[in-house]
Amino acid sequence: MNTQFVGQPIRRVDGRLKVTGGARYAADFNLDEHVYAVIVNATVGLGRIVSIDQAAATRLPGVIAVISHLNAPRLAYHPHKGAIDPATGERLHVLQGDQVRFYGQPVAVVVADTLDQAERAAAALSITYAAKRPAVDPSASDTTEIMAEASKGPKAYYPADTARGDADAALATAPVRIDAFYDTARENHNPMEPHATVARWDGDRVTLWSKTQFVVNEQAEIAAIFGIPTENVQVISPFVGGGFGTTLRTWSHVTIAALAARQVGRPVKLALTRKQMFFTTGHRPRSLQRVALGATPDGKLTSIVHEGRGETSRYEEFIEALTAGTGFMYSCPNVRTQYRIVPLDTGTPNHMRGPGEAQGMFALECAMDELSYELGIDPIELRRRNEPEIDESTGKPFSSRSLMPCYDRGAELFGWAQRNPAPRSMRDDREYVGMGCASATYPVLFSPTRARARLLADGTAEIEVAASDMGPGTYTSMTQVAADALGLPLDNVRFSLGRSDFPPAPPHGGSQTMASVGSAIRAACAAVLEAAARNREVRPIEAEGSAQRDPEVAARFSMHSFGAVFAEVGIDSDVGTIRVRRALGVYGAGRIVNPRLALSQCTGGMVGGIGMALMERTMLDARDGRLVNAHMADYLMPVNLDIDRLEAHFVDEEDPHVNPLGVKGLGEIALVGMAPAIANAIFHATGTRLRNLPISIENVLTA
Amino acid sequence: MKAAAAGYIRANDLPHAISLLEQSRGEARILAGGQSLIASLNLRLAGETALIDINGVAELSGIELVGEQLRIGALTRHRELASSDLVARHVPAIAQAAPLIAHAAIRNRGTIGGSLAYADPAAELPACMLALDAQIVVRGPAGERRVRAGDFFVDLFTTDLAEDEMIVAVEVPVAVAGERQATMELARRSGDYALAGIVLVDRPSGVRAAFFGVGPTPILATGAMAAIDRGASPDEAAALLEGDLQPLDDVHAPAAVRLHLARVLLRRALAATRS
Ligand SMILES: Cc1cc2nc3c(=O)[nH]c(=O)nc-3n(C[C@H](O)[C@H](O)[C@H](O)COP(=O)(O)OP(=O)(O)OC[C@H]3O[C@@H](n4cnc5c(N)ncnc54)[C@H](O)[C@@H]3O)c2cc1C
Repeated sequence: MNTQFVGQPIRRVDGRLKVTGGARYAADFNLDEHVYAVIVNATVGLGRIVSIDQAAATRLPGVIAVISHLNAPRLAYHPHKGAIDPATGERLHVLQGDQVRFYGQPVAVVVADTLDQAERAAAALSITYAAKRPAVDPSASDTTEIMAEASKGPKAYYPADTARGDADAALATAPVRIDAFYDTARENHNPMEPHATVARWDGDRVTLWSKTQFVVNEQAEIAAIFGIPTENVQVISPFVGGGFGTTLRTWSHVTIAALAARQVGRPVKLALTRKQMFFTTGHRPRSLQRVALGATPDGKLTSIVHEGRGETSRYEEFIEALTAGTGFMYSCPNVRTQYRIVPLDTGTPNHMRGPGEAQGMFALECAMDELSYELGIDPIELRRRNEPEIDESTGKPFSSRSLMPCYDRGAELFGWAQRNPAPRSMRDDREYVGMGCASATYPVLFSPTRARARLLADGTAEIEVAASDMGPGTYTSMTQVAADALGLPLDNVRFSLGRSDFPPAPPHGGSQTMASVGSAIRAACAAVLEAAARNREVRPIEAEGSAQRDPEVAARFSMHSFGAVFAEVGIDSDVGTIRVRRALGVYGAGRIVNPRLALSQCTGGMVGGIGMALMERTMLDARDGRLVNAHMADYLMPVNLDIDRLEAHFVDEEDPHVNPLGVKGLGEIALVGMAPAIANAIFHATGTRLRNLPISIENVLTA
Repeated sequence: MKAAAAGYIRANDLPHAISLLEQSRGEARILAGGQSLIASLNLRLAGETALIDINGVAELSGIELVGEQLRIGALTRHRELASSDLVARHVPAIAQAAPLIAHAAIRNRGTIGGSLAYADPAAELPACMLALDAQIVVRGPAGERRVRAGDFFVDLFTTDLAEDEMIVAVEVPVAVAGERQATMELARRSGDYALAGIVLVDRPSGVRAAFFGVGPTPILATGAMAAIDRGASPDEAAALLEGDLQPLDDVHAPAAVRLHLARVLLRRALAATRS
């Protein structure tokens, strides 16, 4: 493999466009004669719309249409499930009936000449409801857990139940034991760019300039909802201002934008407000978990029990990797996992950076830390004593696994040796200081992808894939891959993404873009070089290539990234304020295509983990399901001043099995592991074990 | 969401601003730094309203020493408070408070007049005025009057200002020989409004401690102050705060935590002024 550019810290090829405002995000597209749509959201958490009085709104200047279930056309809503949609249940149908399933559900849309007019009219709509009390707390007695349909059976991707050996019996007789409950908060993704769609119809064809992390799925979903052929939908999404998973699905506002545009016969621009993003664009579900560990006095695990519950909506069964890491992280003869979901009167959750792993590994890694104190064994040493030779959950070897090299390198860089192992033993002036560590993992996904490559007469090349770049630097890394594959300078390669008429790419999530899109681009480049060698006259000349995982490799290997995360916290001894003084992650993630982008990807994920540990929590009012803190003044996320020193490092790891590029992906794993490392550091600082996230001042004070 | 503004006009000078206010009969709002007003218009917390922009009114700017008072114009930005030598020398509590307000971008625009008129109970500057026993200089069609800070902050986001009045300046007594001042606060996230904060003015003649974030207005902790003046220990004084303050539960912290933080702050502020 030619690696002139792959592996180099190339600057973002789209950096200039971004900092000069030249990069166009969905809401930046302005069409001739476009009008504005504003969604009206339900103000009850469950029930029925009784009446909509739109007289006052309709009379306001500029108002073109008020659309609700009373006058909206029936939409086809043909069955369609994208790779990212819950397998069981049916997506929310909007403006099709009087039922209100959750607080903030769209119940009407107002279209007007200007945004101000549309907002004003939206506020003037008078809607009455017959309201019932919604169930929004998965720990409350009015909820019942269920086994997700798609998690039934041993072949399920996220099995409801797994077992090897007899974990409960082994736990009962284990000489050393810990058994604890963990609770992680509901979170919202909160990318900077709000969701937005500009929709324009030409006959029975629609073009959507839309924010999406899954271009071809948005196309297929809108085609299915409107009952038109897939090729009649064109999605254009050149830039995505952060996603973290929230734009993986095509949410109801996209349908509403298209519906409104069709109704008024003009292009419509619709952007969600920050508050509306909390209602209808998915969330990380709250998790309630129990982890029990049994061990011998010398620290050999004899039992792992991991039971987890997550939230879902009443109309779809959202499942994720809550207990997925538990089976293969450590060597242990007796392991039992259980995963259930709790249907609530809320919108359907969805994947948020490190979906499931972030919460599941929080519980497991805190439990491992608890066990290390119980045993009096250094937490890194405890993991070393339980390092497996193979994936014991499947019996397959790992394609590569660098967990202990990550710990060793991290311990050295972090200065772990300076840590006094006794809790509450380290101080710096008024602060109790604590150091903690935790493991991180995420699977190496690789989905079928196609790419197109074209060589032009002037010696430049164009590459096209319907991929996305929500910030990790897809534009740049793919340009590097193509330039190397074609033997061209970077400046001679133009990589385009974000159009549904480009060859299809998988969701820009699950840390698989580099692997999937990158491998397809390599294949397309090889194909076009071959075509060009056969035919030296014709230019431009173009070829497509595709890539997907060899099922035989998948059958032979267990493929995951691993990492070790370290955090040092300072806790004000009188007031309980918690500061992450520094944090460091070391990852074994295969080949690093661009160290500059990788560093920024990882530190961004670590900040997400700090938010999860100490700040982020979407609160619902139990009386009516109202979101209490649906704005950025009350939904806290760390700001620059809260972040001290963050470092990310990568161990050399060559993995020829995962994909042709040998990359494992970084997006998710960078968040996983941070929260438990912080919680473990807080225990080390204070001697108090806090198991509910986010950990706040009052938890420290009252503990 | 975009602001709903019913009109905008720029005042040329102070009489112009006052006459515009008078003509609007309570339908207009003064626009200073816009850092609270525009946000509340955007969130539709404030109704549709006309804006009278006072940013061009020269009489409202400037910091000057007038006798035993530091006169600070209503349009003085938080950033100017943080960098002024006069403020640092004569009212260090304000110099310490200014950098705690929000973030740099907000400090560049936000003004002292806006902060006092807005009267957020968790804001730093109202508490500074209270602790320093400053006078708010208020002007309306009937002329100018001076209101003691203790009478100015009436309730949550509510001041003594009449509909047709505006703040033109504040007059703050300068520190006397031997006086020490301290402003401190605690927040969960850097730059946020404080969970609890204190402005302590420790004068040879007696101590004044104003708290913010622990009640509907900035609150003078009279019980604790009297105890300190009687020679009580910091711990004894801190114990009296329960009677002085009225913290509430909200999404950021329970009342009990805020009270605890206030106690710690009182001890720390005393340690700072008496070290
Ligand atoms: C993200 C964020 C964080 C913040 N954090 C803090 C913080 O930690 N601490 C803090 O104290 N503040 C904070 N603020 C508020 C900031 O300090 C504002 O600048 C200040 O509260 C208002 O000042 P302004 O000049 O911007 O007033 P404006 O927003 O222009 O006006 C506010 C109100 O005061 C009225 N007004 C303005 N000037 C006068 C006058 N001269 N006479 C009469 N009425 C007047 C207006 O009509 C309006 O009702 C924050 C703001 C933001 C956006």
